[in-house]
Amino acid sequence: MNIVVAMKQIPDLQQIRIRNRKPILDDVALTFGNIDKNALEAGVQLKEATGSNLIVVSVGTEALEDTIKEALAAGADEAYLVLDDEIGDMESSSSARLIAEAIKKIDDVGIILFGEGSGDNYSGQVGSRVAAILGLPQAGYAKSININGNIATVTRSLEDCEEVLEAELPIVVSVIADINEPRIPSVTQILKAGRKPKEMLELDVTGDSMLETISNLAPEMQRKQIEIETIEKLLKVLENEGLLRR
Amino acid sequence: MEFTLSKEQLLIQKMAQEFCAKHLEPVAEQIDRDNKIPAEIIKGLSELDLFGLPFKEEYGGADAGYDCYVLAMEQLGKVSSGPAITISVNCLGLGAIDKFGTPAQKSKYMPKACRGEHLASFAFTEPGTGSDPKQITTRAVKEGDHYILNGTKRFISNADYPGPMVAFAMDDESSKPTAFIVDKFCEGYSISEPWHKIGYRGGNLLDVYLKDVKVPAENVLGKMGGGFPVLTYGIAFGKVGISSVALGGILAAYEAAVKYAKEKTHRGEPIAKFQAVQLRIADLAMKYEACRWLTYRLGCLANNAKDPMLFAKEAAVTKTYVCETFVDAARIAIDVHGSYGLMNDYLVTRLYRDAILGPQVEGVADMQKMIIAGVVLNG
Ligand SMILES: Cc1cc2nc3c(=O)[nH]c(=O)nc-3n(C[C@H](O)[C@H](O)[C@H](O)COP(=O)(O)OP(=O)(O)OC[C@H]3O[C@@H](n4cnc5c(N)ncnc54)[C@H](O)[C@@H]3O)c2cc1C
Repeated sequence: MNIVVAMKQIPDLQQIRIRNRKPILDDVALTFGNIDKNALEAGVQLKEATGSNLIVVSVGTEALEDTIKEALAAGADEAYLVLDDEIGDMESSSSARLIAEAIKKIDDVGIILFGEGSGDNYSGQVGSRVAAILGLPQAGYAKSININGNIATVTRSLEDCEEVLEAELPIVVSVIADINEPRIPSVTQILKAGRKPKEMLELDVTGDSMLETISNLAPEMQRKQIEIETIEKLLKVLENEGLLRR
Repeated sequence: MEFTLSKEQLLIQKMAQEFCAKHLEPVAEQIDRDNKIPAEIIKGLSELDLFGLPFKEEYGGADAGYDCYVLAMEQLGKVSSGPAITISVNCLGLGAIDKFGTPAQKSKYMPKACRGEHLASFAFTEPGTGSDPKQITTRAVKEGDHYILNGTKRFISNADYPGPMVAFAMDDESSKPTAFIVDKFCEGYSISEPWHKIGYRGGNLLDVYLKDVKVPAENVLGKMGGGFPVLTYGIAFGKVGISSVALGGILAAYEAAVKYAKEKTHRGEPIAKFQAVQLRIADLAMKYEACRWLTYRLGCLANNAKDPMLFAKEAAVTKTYVCETFVDAARIAIDVHGSYGLMNDYLVTRLYRDAILGPQVEGVADMQKMIIAGVVLNG
């Protein structure tokens, strides 16, 4: 069985500098979003439990050829990539179409994993759209996944309850950050990543709709400048801020 | 000329950063206080292949080169010098075996130490000297197919862990220093209590007593009477580690100063608005950048070192400059903090205690300058 994880290349959020409230993206290294890394780790754990093959699928600019090493170091066995430097801020529907087309080229797919939302746009649509295109069942907000034979059991973390679902494979699952703690790849895994197989797919990206960013401003952060005269007031302020007696 | 890191280099740097943030940072103060590295930290570092990062895979290493070694060690040194120095000394001992050892010696002694199951030591210093090989008093006397070693080695890092120790002794055949690989904890090997030093805490320092220690002749490292090149060239590779640890310290001092300058307020505004504070921040930025590229360059040079003397000079240049700059940087960071910077609650006190050690270890700064001048003036 093949396990597929879809991951999106984004700028490393920790390296973005803010100047006049605008994010400066030049010279910022590319990486994958944190929840995508949770999805990958979920894939690695399922791979270890079921003895499957783990394939990462990603659509992005040419830099992805380098960025993908991060996923290959963290446990993916191979990568299916759609590269095009025109792929800038692609709309979710277009990314979903390309990812679904890439997945169609993979045989014996058992489970397709997504992060609940990408680290940059967080539209949270791509997983559901891919499930719809491929005509597969989908479970969102997954906090645990087990596979037993041909059946996946997924625990979904909802606002005030947990829901346990069972579905026959193949299935699309999008995961939340709580599902696991991604492991840190070792030096040897990092160095071997570049030698793992990569499939470059030629898919037609022309005519896909792009997002136009009209404005992108960082939230303004200001010191609260609260003057505190008494211990009682300090306790009150901390409580109001949700830092005490939560 | 390329001043950018490859994806692999960036990932190794990030891997070390992540390990530090998740596992090392939470116990860094504890390591400093207790002078002990928790076993799970050693295990974690070993799982990431950090104990044998620059060495060949066939001898248990990760084969990532000294360039990647520098990047990982900088991150460890930034957060906790004890584990970083432990790895640095392990790689110093292993580096000497790697450069001068026979294939049999490498296969026997490197794999376990590359995995962190053993830790290597490098024992030159004695109560009488840490700078002058001619003054070494540890003796090696030939007896059949063995040498019998007797003497005391002072301030030996990792001496309390099992593994190989590259020990220097005057042998009675050549009347010159020879390097031997001693199995720590063999018969006749004993150690003192750990020294209570002010910095690099967690990286243990002990005296080693060698009493009629029987070393097989096949454990001579390099040639009989050939200890001097093992010492100078071996320690030159050790300086890659020590420079990287100091570089991490400079980065920590720089970041601590920037953070404090933005957080501490006077009349409602951060002290970063004062020009005097700004100049200190600029000094720290300049010092960090200068040391960073010097150290990264040394990592690259170590991968391709051909002329041992020239490499020893470059290692001395880097180690001396970076370690002395760390002392300045820690001091500047303390100045930004004012009296708070003298309180143990603040990281900069630990950095200052760490910084002050650097110029004394693996060859005092004065001796390094003599190595540099020797090559500059005499080729
Ligand atoms: C944290 C730490 C870890 C260490 N780990 C190890 C280890 O693993 N293995 C090991 O062997 N040692 C180790 N040492 C010891 C260290 O390397 C030595 O202490 C150091 O090399 C200096 O030797 P010394 O203290 O005997 O000083 P000395 O050699 O006595 O030097 C004292 C001063 O005299 C001057 N001086 C000495 N000789 C000359 C000369 N020929 N010309 C001009 N000036 C001179 C120098 O300026 C120097 O500052 C460690 C030390 C520390 C603090």
